[in-house]
Amino acid sequence: MATTTPAPTRSAGTDPDGRPTTATAAGHAEPRTKLLLYGLAGVLTVLVFAAPLLWALLRAFQTNDVITAAPSASTFLDLTAANFAAVGGTAGLGRATLNSLLVAGATAVLTAVVATMAGYGFGRFRFRFSGLAFGAVVLTLMIPFQAIITPLFMQLNAMRLTDSLLGLVLFYTTVNLPFGVFVMRNSFAGVPAELEEAAFVDGAGTGRTFFSVLRPLVTPGIATTALYAFLASWTEFLGALTFLTQQQLYTLPVALLNLQQGAYGAVDYGLLAAGALIAMVPCVVLYVALQRYYVAGLASGSLKG
Amino acid sequence: MSAATPRTGAGSTAGTRGSSRYGTITHRSSTGLLLVLPALAFIVVFVMVPFVFAIGISFTNWPLVGAFRFIGLENFAAIPGDTAFWKAVGYTLLYTAIVTGPILLVGYLMAVVVRANRRGSTVLRTLFFLPYVIGLSTLSFLLVLEAQPGSGAVNLLLQGLGITDGQTAWFTSGPLATALISLLVVWGVSGLTMVLLLAGMQAVPREVHESAEVDGATWWQRERSITLPMLRRPIAMSLILSVIGSFLAFSQFFILTQGGPGTDTTPVVLAIYNRAFVQLQVGSATALSLVLVLVVALVTAAQFWLLREKD
Repeated sequence: MATTTPAPTRSAGTDPDGRPTTATAAGHAEPRTKLLLYGLAGVLTVLVFAAPLLWALLRAFQTNDVITAAPSASTFLDLTAANFAAVGGTAGLGRATLNSLLVAGATAVLTAVVATMAGYGFGRFRFRFSGLAFGAVVLTLMIPFQAIITPLFMQLNAMRLTDSLLGLVLFYTTVNLPFGVFVMRNSFAGVPAELEEAAFVDGAGTGRTFFSVLRPLVTPGIATTALYAFLASWTEFLGALTFLTQQQLYTLPVALLNLQQGAYGAVDYGLLAAGALIAMVPCVVLYVALQRYYVAGLASGSLKG
Repeated sequence: MSAATPRTGAGSTAGTRGSSRYGTITHRSSTGLLLVLPALAFIVVFVMVPFVFAIGISFTNWPLVGAFRFIGLENFAAIPGDTAFWKAVGYTLLYTAIVTGPILLVGYLMAVVVRANRRGSTVLRTLFFLPYVIGLSTLSFLLVLEAQPGSGAVNLLLQGLGITDGQTAWFTSGPLATALISLLVVWGVSGLTMVLLLAGMQAVPREVHESAEVDGATWWQRERSITLPMLRRPIAMSLILSVIGSFLAFSQFFILTQGGPGTDTTPVVLAIYNRAFVQLQVGSATALSLVLVLVVALVTAAQFWLLREKD
């Protein structure tokens, strides 16, 4: 959605100060003030949006003493990897990182599989109660998990799924499913029916048709679904906080919370900065690398609540 | 959302896999049902059942551990006089009122800046959206460091600009904490509004803008008469998404203020969380949850209604 054809040199409506750009001014070349303003906006943006993130990167390589003191020119750039060496220490950030990876990865795979099946069913098949079933998915969008966190805790507890990474994966999968089903249903609905008919004529069953004919066509949708599920569960906070009580099961945000609240004595802000950086990196890398799928998801699953 | 037009399996006489090979029916209805079954199982087990469960719990005085008894509508009857809850409701509304406008405005300006495919606009678009992708919980942990008196970047910046002495303890004051958290949220989530609006803006053919420009229309005239009418749906959607997001705010408050000082920065979800897991009054907390579900469902229904209207 966000990719358009290259703009002509004289593009319209970008004068950000709202000043009249007369026909003569915009007639042939880009007015100089307009370019200047665009450049200014760019610089401001970099300052406001890139600087804090670069600052966070810098913090992760400073010691606790440097972070908590008024900055002095002599020590501020004494960078060290000591925080990352301590990640495996008592605060359990190493373990928490692995837990988060495991949970987010499993959630991405499970959500993609279940949503792809359901998307195929809803997008391609007509069956009794299909409207009702799809209605149930829509209804799920209207019941945010934050609002039913207490009964959810009781439910997971009754199923012995609290204090369990599996329980967390099942919970996150449910949270991400409605969006995934929307995306996948749209993906399947966009595939020409002739393709499937041809496969059927050639003797392929439903499974064979899916894996050999449809799968390549819906791969972008699958990537979108998996990406959203991964990012959403990687830094999810409320559910992890509520459903996990054993330290060895903590995911990264909960481990960072414990660290920040001084559960291990004096707060090591260097370690907190390093942990926050570890939490940021997969988001940034995955988003930048897979931006196309991310933006496609926003367009296609625009019902996301 | 284009409606699917599946080749129907209606009247699927093909009983077995073998015979369907020769039939014209490519989609048997039983296969469709089987395909959606796992997704339905998740939704039934982890949404529907807890929801029904919740209605039951709301009629009890269930402590988190131990015996309970049914107390009828007492939990609901107590809501009007529940000062802690109403304080949280008031705070949530205040917070929503503070951030909603700026998120829309900043998101709109971002979209205006990046919508022309100029050099660098892709980089800007990525940058604008990055904080949203990183997520509010991680951003909150970063702010923990940067809000420290005397050493955090927020204080250093304000000191450098000569506005404060750089010793502000942001989270010991309700208004200061609210201001800083609101700033963090506007910075963090405006990118989502930008992306939603951008899709609408790009639906306007460039020629329309250009001919209006040639006719002497000012930037604001073009914006108001051409772009904004096209953005009715995206604006409605981003407003509703951000309002729901504000109604359900939790992480940033739990991490940065724990709802304090006192309960001055406690939003509704945190109040319910405390009621259930700190005060161990699960029955009461669940009754409050149901009220929240109702409110959010109404907002979401309004979303569907608003977005459907024009189709």
